[in-house]
Amino acid sequence: MSWAQAILLARGLSRGWRGICGAVLTGAPFSQVPLQAPRGLHCSAAAHNSDSWLVPPWPEPRKGPTKALTLHEELFQQTLEGARDKANFVRAVQNFGQHNVHKRGHVDFIYLALRKMREYGVERDLAVYNLLLDIFPKEVFRPRSIFQSMFIHYPRQQECGIAVLEQMESHGVMPNKETEFLLIQIFGRKSYPMLKYVRMKLWFSRFKNINPFPVPRDLPQDPVDLAKLGLRHMEPNLSATVTIYQMPSSKDSTGTADPTEPHIVGIQTPDQQAALAHHNPARPIFVEGPFSLWLRDKCVYYHILRADLLPPEEREVEEIPEEWNLHYPMQLDLEYGRSGWDDYEFDIHKVEEGPVFAICMAGAHDQATLAKWIQGLQETNPALAQIPVVFRLAGSTGELLASSSGLEEPPPPEGQEEEEDSQQRQQQGQS
Amino acid sequence: MATSGCMGVANLLRRAVAARASRALVAFATSRRLLRTSPPSRAFAKELFLGKIEKKEVFPFPEVSQDELNEINQFVGPVEKFFTEEVDSERIDREGKIPKETLEKLKSLGLFGLQVPEEYGGLGLSNTMYARLGEIVGLDASIAVTLAAHQAIGLKGIILAGNKEQKAKYLPKLASGEHIAAFCLTEPSSGSDVASIKSRATLSEDKKHYILNGSKVWITNGGLANIFTVFAKTEVVDSDSSVKDKITAFIVERDFGGVTNGKPEDKLGIRGSNTCEVHFENTKVPIENVLGEVGGGFKVAMNILNNGRFSMGSTVAGMLKKLIEMTAAYACSRKQFNKNLSEFGLIQEKFALMAQKAYVMESMAYLTAGMLDQPGFPDCSIEAAMVKVFSSEGAWQCVSEALQILGGSGYVKDYPYERFLRDSRILLIFEGTNEILRMYIALTGLQHAGRILTARINELKRGNVTTIIETVGQRLRDSLGRTVDLGLTGKLGAVHPSVADSASKLEENVYYFGRTVETLLLRFGKTIVEEQMVLKRVANILINLYGMTAVLSRASRSIRVGIRNHDHEVLLANIFCAEAYYQNLFTLSQLDKYSPENLDEQIKKVSQQVLEKQAYVCAHPLDRTS
Repeated sequence: MSWAQAILLARGLSRGWRGICGAVLTGAPFSQVPLQAPRGLHCSAAAHNSDSWLVPPWPEPRKGPTKALTLHEELFQQTLEGARDKANFVRAVQNFGQHNVHKRGHVDFIYLALRKMREYGVERDLAVYNLLLDIFPKEVFRPRSIFQSMFIHYPRQQECGIAVLEQMESHGVMPNKETEFLLIQIFGRKSYPMLKYVRMKLWFSRFKNINPFPVPRDLPQDPVDLAKLGLRHMEPNLSATVTIYQMPSSKDSTGTADPTEPHIVGIQTPDQQAALAHHNPARPIFVEGPFSLWLRDKCVYYHILRADLLPPEEREVEEIPEEWNLHYPMQLDLEYGRSGWDDYEFDIHKVEEGPVFAICMAGAHDQATLAKWIQGLQETNPALAQIPVVFRLAGSTGELLASSSGLEEPPPPEGQEEEEDSQQRQQQGQS
Repeated sequence: MATSGCMGVANLLRRAVAARASRALVAFATSRRLLRTSPPSRAFAKELFLGKIEKKEVFPFPEVSQDELNEINQFVGPVEKFFTEEVDSERIDREGKIPKETLEKLKSLGLFGLQVPEEYGGLGLSNTMYARLGEIVGLDASIAVTLAAHQAIGLKGIILAGNKEQKAKYLPKLASGEHIAAFCLTEPSSGSDVASIKSRATLSEDKKHYILNGSKVWITNGGLANIFTVFAKTEVVDSDSSVKDKITAFIVERDFGGVTNGKPEDKLGIRGSNTCEVHFENTKVPIENVLGEVGGGFKVAMNILNNGRFSMGSTVAGMLKKLIEMTAAYACSRKQFNKNLSEFGLIQEKFALMAQKAYVMESMAYLTAGMLDQPGFPDCSIEAAMVKVFSSEGAWQCVSEALQILGGSGYVKDYPYERFLRDSRILLIFEGTNEILRMYIALTGLQHAGRILTARINELKRGNVTTIIETVGQRLRDSLGRTVDLGLTGKLGAVHPSVADSASKLEENVYYFGRTVETLLLRFGKTIVEEQMVLKRVANILINLYGMTAVLSRASRSIRVGIRNHDHEVLLANIFCAEAYYQNLFTLSQLDKYSPENLDEQIKKVSQQVLEKQAYVCAHPLDRTS
């Protein structure tokens, strides 16, 4: 081995080391920093894919002949005639094993398979991941001595193993005993994929239920159901009632519904109803929105019906009736309150906001649609008939407007004129 | 024949009672003036909040004279005979109503007018006598509740707040049982929350009638009653000439028209009593039938309820005594492993518990009745509430233990035991739930203590050095373990030496209770109203203290007078006092600041989370994360 070759090898090794360390150490689900980790010895430099940055993207210009890879592609091509489902994916993986007894090019195949998983809709299937790990030849990459395990033994293979785990992690798939068994068989206990596995086991179980307001993994496709879910998600009060004020005119859930009859779904709690009933009709209330709400990868928009905070001089002091409780005094006739030593309230600066009377999600964000919501609300809130309603529909939501996978189109931009205009219209309607 | 015989008894009693009343009055007039010259009578329970024992109120245990005793025994005999021989509780429970002939017999015995004054045809019994009769009436819960709804709350309003004409018009027929009374306060939207009463009475144009509209729920005797005490809102012009809605009480006859009632509720227990909804639709009530003042209904209702409670103690004690007899017979006859059940320690323990509870509640009930019988209408509402809470909970606990002794026989309908269980459950709920009464007990006492301690506490808050040093010094002495002597024991002490140990336990508890109350007031001030868990503990301690006082007083008297089996009483008194003492110590330590025994914060958190989810929060024990 020439001197130059030795240097190259050393550099490659260190790169591989760094790549793996980066992958393993920052591999928690929050690692948003796109590490430009150089590939190991056998890996070409590659740009990162948003899905799983450890998996080299494909297709891409590759240097040199990649006969093996085209062969792998064919394995998937064969199954293309059939549906893209788990059975065909599994068949392709099994075909690889049959065609290639020596498992030549298995790392490339695994990377390819990882990329294909989404297409076949198996990206959340633990069994498939285990199947992919099973492609690795067993016992070959296990370090035999302490030095082997100190200097990464077969870094490219280890990196590939980590890539499989990484993709599992980004889809929230919890590895099981079989995964552990495979990893031990393939890489041995003292390997980086194993370290990654142990960490996943530890943190997954801790983070799995950390969200106190869990969103179901599979969101409903029907916009009405999605709206119901979103409204329930925002309203913690379980006694709130969800009302569908208008069903979309066509059952087509792909978003091509007749724009004249979009769905309108609203939620209101009994407390909100009571508050609205006590609202002073001289003060207008506002329909505001759209505001965005993200449910997993979908963005929905909602509107609120709210009022301004009453100025302090108009607030009614809730007086305790003299003859209230028949059985025991509701207040003691003492001059002093709680002593400072027993006051555990933190001194928090609180900003009071006006009351919110109802929330709705509608298929369209124009005033005509929202006026229908208000009409529907009047049935359960007769007081609403006397209160002037002002529409304050903003164009910009201040959030990401376009989302490729979002269900709804972002609201059409509406200017400030709209507000005044609608106010006038509304007042005309009221008078 | 039997009816006339009973009538005879009732008449006899009436005469005897009249004679006794006049005698008693004379006696009081003389003796009281000697005993009480300067200090006005102070309620016992309220003084406990200040760490003081108002001995004169509770020692010696109230007695009745031999004549009165003979009279009441003459009366009790036939009633007891009637209840044990003729009342078929099983049938009443099964059919869900009291048979006509039983009701007639009850009326002829005079049981419908026990506390109606004699001039209006009642028996005019004192509270003590009333409690004594309650013991027997308690043998059948349905009858007891029917009678209580009639006279403890139904017609009580007329006795307490009615004017002469109203009394003369209604009481005679009510006392004879010709008319039955009911008390109509609760509404679908309002229980203790009087402000949300929706029933309304509006003055007619000629100002001679009120037009009453509204619905009332859970009205005992609602289907039987002819006379209703109804609470409704009326418009009242205030002193500052503003119009306000206030509660007014009315006497409403069924014959006024527009009074209807729903079908009787199908209940868990007390199935023989009649409970239903009562509706008033444009019922014309003459203005003469306003009970008390217009707009003064709140006070009327409060007085009626506060007065009606003490009798539950003796009623329950009567029931428990019967239950002990029945279960003891069973335990002494059933053999297991060649031994009678009665030989097993765990069974013996249950009998001791039942005896102890019965003894305590009996003592509390008669002590309270005796206090109430003193002249000058003493305010014993806290004491009465304590009796109610203690006896209802004791009843539930004892019946449950009795069922445990009986095993399967307690659970089947062939035996009366399960009926006892069902019947006793309502005791914790009606006449003010025990939770509400605990609030009443604690807050009324704290209000009293707060008024008296205000000056002292204000000085402490202002940082008056002398007061602070005094307080700190006192606390230091307390913590170094001082012996408390409130004068119950020792030579010429109020209690007998056999129970002196228990008495010093009571003294210690009372003293530290007073200190704790002061600290609590200092810490929470008027916001203590919101600290319900603290208030519950205060009430629990007070109930224990009152129970201790009652048994000590009674046992001391029994020993000194030489009552039959007074050594047994001493045992029961000492057991109860020791148990209550340790309970109190624990509760007092929970009331300390930063007490490790006090888990309120955690408890509140748990309940908050449960209520937020409106479900059990924890995941299933078999759930996995992977």
